[in-house]
Amino acid sequence: MTRQNSILGVFSYLDDLLKAIEQARERGMHVETVYSPCPNHEIQEAMSMKPSSVRFFTLTGGVLGILFGVGLVIYTSLQWKLIVSGKPIVPLVPAVVVGFEFCILFSVLFTVAGLLFKSRLPRLGIPAHYREGFSQDEFGLLLLCPPEDRGTVSEFLKAAGAKEVHELPS
Amino acid sequence: MEKLTYRSIDEDVLRNMFSPSRTYYYLLALCFAGILLGAFCWGYMIATGIGVAGMKHPVFWGTFLINFVFWVGIAHSGTLISAILYLFRAPWRTAIARSAEAMTVFAVATAGLFPFIHLGRVWIVYWILPYPNERNLWPNFQSPLVFDVIAISTYLTVSAMFWYTGLVPDLAVVRDKARGIKKKIYGVLSLGWTGSHRRWNHYGKAYLLFAALATPLVISVHSVVSWDFALSIVPGWHSTIFAPYFVAGAIHSGLAMVLTLLIPLRKIFRFEHLITMNILENIAKTIIFTGLIVGYAYATEYFMAYYSGNVFERDTMIWRAIGNYSTAFWIMVVCNTLVPLLLFFKRVRTNLKRLFAISLLINVGMWYERFVIIISSAAHQFDPYSWTHYSPTWVEYGIMIGSFSLFGFLFLLFAKFLPTISMTEMKESLEPPRRNDRSQSSNTREESP
Repeated sequence: MTRQNSILGVFSYLDDLLKAIEQARERGMHVETVYSPCPNHEIQEAMSMKPSSVRFFTLTGGVLGILFGVGLVIYTSLQWKLIVSGKPIVPLVPAVVVGFEFCILFSVLFTVAGLLFKSRLPRLGIPAHYREGFSQDEFGLLLLCPPEDRGTVSEFLKAAGAKEVHELPS
Repeated sequence: MEKLTYRSIDEDVLRNMFSPSRTYYYLLALCFAGILLGAFCWGYMIATGIGVAGMKHPVFWGTFLINFVFWVGIAHSGTLISAILYLFRAPWRTAIARSAEAMTVFAVATAGLFPFIHLGRVWIVYWILPYPNERNLWPNFQSPLVFDVIAISTYLTVSAMFWYTGLVPDLAVVRDKARGIKKKIYGVLSLGWTGSHRRWNHYGKAYLLFAALATPLVISVHSVVSWDFALSIVPGWHSTIFAPYFVAGAIHSGLAMVLTLLIPLRKIFRFEHLITMNILENIAKTIIFTGLIVGYAYATEYFMAYYSGNVFERDTMIWRAIGNYSTAFWIMVVCNTLVPLLLFFKRVRTNLKRLFAISLLINVGMWYERFVIIISSAAHQFDPYSWTHYSPTWVEYGIMIGSFSLFGFLFLLFAKFLPTISMTEMKESLEPPRRNDRSQSSNTREESP
């Protein structure tokens, strides 16, 4: 694998950033990461992002939750076959309530686990190229390029409207 | 008119985080004293026996259950604002969602204490949990009290997760603005968040799913709480309308509590241009709606008692209005159904003092609603021989003061150490900065009176 250099462009305006992403991708540059202070659907579209797979974690959690909740009620009822209020030994109606609550609980726990896993969180440190302004009012575009293209990519970012361009060690 | 920008939002929200006024510390000390009082009363009750509380046959559910239902109810509007209004894309929720979510977490945590307190022998509380044991004994899953344990634990977990997930990007803002030890602490709390496009993609999906899951949960939780009563045969409790009646009441009380907390918060922290009069007015309009539902539920209870032909049900309903607890009943009716009607008048709902006063009255009314439902039915069941009169003792009042103090204490800590307004969502609601700025008008908000 060839060594790649990282070039970071810091933008103040979203439209400049979107244009830079579009042009970089047209030129075949590798857009590594885009930073923004809040979620933005235009950035997601420009990066051709697919819907997050976190939802599959949620679905898995939900199904397991229902099975666990209903299974718990059935299993525990069968341990003591005691008739309560003339109801069946295995109470199906109450099992719906317990199954529902565990469905929600497991869905949420799995969603959190999915979010952390897919986002590669938690991390104690933040990347060296990260700028504090990215959480506040600045946008960032991190491009990867071979060492010989560093100059070209930096010029490209400046021309695209980046207020700062940082060449980072590979 | 003042223009909001990404930077101004950060500055306004973070300005108050590390420099509270002296009043803040006085309030914090007051709440801490209240917690100590509550802890003393609880300790006294554990040491002496549960008889020091005013509960006696047949009223075994006194203020401990009243406060439990009250605090669970308060929690509900937080989820309404943060989850349900999020799904409906109501833009006015943005500035208040974080505080409402915090209120939910603290209210559920406070509510969760009361079953522990009411249990008496708190050290064996784990018996209610389904765990393997040598006698192969398990909780009875046909009991609504066991539903309650599962529902409230789920609600606390889900609310806390939802709240913390929303906080993570804002904690990263605090981390990036802070220096020294604070930077390290907020760095750990923000989990290393950077705002990359991949993370926003997963975050957005997860947040939407949280909202979608919290919405049916919140309805189920207070329905389950209502079944603690409705699945018994006690007159005044055994009713099919209890679940929707409780959910509507919960949101009614919670919205009032949101106003009670936000009106001082916006004043103390100078958030007038973020938490605008328009937002408070929208909460007031929602209170009119929930107040009408609650009023309708009260009337329906009476109609059902009359139309059922059940003499016990009829007697209980008549006794509620003219019996020993009639004062509590009429406080409930006036504060919850008549007082909110004043909010139909624009000059009332746009006046902060009046709005604050109405929110306090609804809080009082909703506490009395739980008092009337729980006590008036339990004290006046089928057999006149066992009718009784219940009044709380100083121990119960002490624990109640402790619970309000604990809630206030947690909220004050939240206001100091965490961003009380979601900066991320506020920024998301603005037109992003563009070189060709097309947002001259869209990013401005009305100045509050």
